Amino acid sequence: MIAALNGAFDDISKAMRLHRVWIALAHEDIGDQHRRTTLGPLWMLVNYFAFVGTFAFVFVTKDAGNPSYIAYVAIGMLVWFYLTETITMSVSLFQREASFIQGTTLPLFVYVMRLTMQCIIRAGYSLAGCVLILLLGGYGINTNWLVSMLGLLLIVLATPAFVMVFAFLGAFFPDSEFIVGNLMRVGMFFTPVFWVYSGQEGVQKYAYRWNPFTYFLEGVREPITAGIFPIQALAVTGYVCLGLWALALLLLGLYRKRIVFLI
Amino acid sequence: MTSITLNNVSLVYRLFEKLTLSAPGRRRSALGGNIAKSGTKQVVQALDDVSFELKAGDRLGLVGPNGAGKTTLLKVLYGIYQPSGGTISIAGKVDALFNIHIGFRPEATGRRNIVLRGLISGWTAAEIEEKMEEIIDFSELGDFIDLPFKAYSQGMAARLAFAAATALEPEILLMDEWIGAGDASFQEKAKRRMDELAEKAGIIVLASHDDALIQRVCTKKMTLRAGRVESLT
Ligand SMILES: Nc1ncnc2c1ncn2[C@@H]1O[C@H](COP(=O)(O)OP(=O)(O)OP(=O)(O)O)[C@@H](O)[C@H]1O
Ligand SMILES: [Mg+2]
Repeated sequence: MIAALNGAFDDISKAMRLHRVWIALAHEDIGDQHRRTTLGPLWMLVNYFAFVGTFAFVFVTKDAGNPSYIAYVAIGMLVWFYLTETITMSVSLFQREASFIQGTTLPLFVYVMRLTMQCIIRAGYSLAGCVLILLLGGYGINTNWLVSMLGLLLIVLATPAFVMVFAFLGAFFPDSEFIVGNLMRVGMFFTPVFWVYSGQEGVQKYAYRWNPFTYFLEGVREPITAGIFPIQALAVTGYVCLGLWALALLLLGLYRKRIVFLI
Repeated sequence: MTSITLNNVSLVYRLFEKLTLSAPGRRRSALGGNIAKSGTKQVVQALDDVSFELKAGDRLGLVGPNGAGKTTLLKVLYGIYQPSGGTISIAGKVDALFNIHIGFRPEATGRRNIVLRGLISGWTAAEIEEKMEEIIDFSELGDFIDLPFKAYSQGMAARLAFAAATALEPEILLMDEWIGAGDASFQEKAKRRMDELAEKAGIIVLASHDDALIQRVCTKKMTLRAGRVESLT
């Protein structure tokens, strides 16, 4: 156990010394994805606007055009897309990096940070779009935004742990790639991304209460849409973050040398 | 002092039956190392009780039929694979050239690839800056250096890979069957550089099926067969 954790920390500290590698590679990845397009990474912004716009338009309720619902969806989508993208890409991480893993001695955490970095850069475009929507919707910048940023920060801190846990899962159980992919697609409907929970009974109640993603979302959203300090949401996010890190460190310590034989 | 010592090193590939929903029952080739069963798992003994010692200035040629364990041995030396048994001790900075495409991004230019390759090998920005022109000169790629890597011929890629891997004068250089792609004049140049490296008290381990090449470059020759050392001279 102690040896495993030492191994994990060794891997991580080596990777942190190689930070310029994953920063450079993450930029290359983004560049490659958009190399032959005219708009380049701005497509991510367009994509985000299209989704938020569609939901805001389709789910017109009695308060149609209600800026608070648009803000609700805008923040919900920002966080949800970030989490979905991170998780689904993590499951196939080690397979995608197979040629590097089998040909270099880079610590595994380099690949973890490379993906983390890539996801954060991509989310940066959606974040810019989200801020724009909020400002246009009349949400002036105030101290609540700081609380919301705290929620975002927790999510960012949890990202490398998410990546590791799902990357190991994918390496040991290749079928999980498809299972996780489908779960995340369905998960959008079981998470209050675009629907609002207002005390209904039944499925929605359980989906709201027992879904950890709810708290990831609400920690960022409530300060702005409801103007409250989301103590419970932030606490749950924090605990999930700690739990994930503990699991991730254990997996990294125990199995990092086995990965090269598995992919 | 640069040195490599291996004691009774063995390596077993476990063909994990990954948990899948698909039915098992693939056919596996019988070439190469020894296939065995350990419990429910299938294993390939790729290295079996390998021991040898190399000192500064040694240039070892690895030969043997396909599947003898040459690539596996080089990867154990580089630290990619942890041996299943035995001990290894290595003193010196190691660099390796396996597949010329590893660590190169097809979409990036040759120049950008040198930077990435340098970062991956742990060079500092100053070292990369300093070695850049030298690598370009040595590879003789000229203006091609600013074209994407995918536009290179195999030999051009090999030139760049070799120039980059040897630029920082690693103390131990591992090479796996790469040089064939270079033309005669480049092979001559590469051999001179390997001579220089070896003279600076480095160690070179080169796996190849080209006996003439091994003869020209190496001072020692080790024959592997089915994971065991058959002869070492
Ligand atoms: N990833 C792997 N999983 C399972 N078995 C492997 C793996 N890589 C190699 N082997 C087996 O290990 C043995 C040694 O392979 P290796 O690649 O080291 O041979 P080699 O001497 O380099 O051969 P070649 O001359 O064809 O390059 C072979 O029997 C091969 O089937
Ligand atoms: Mg080989």
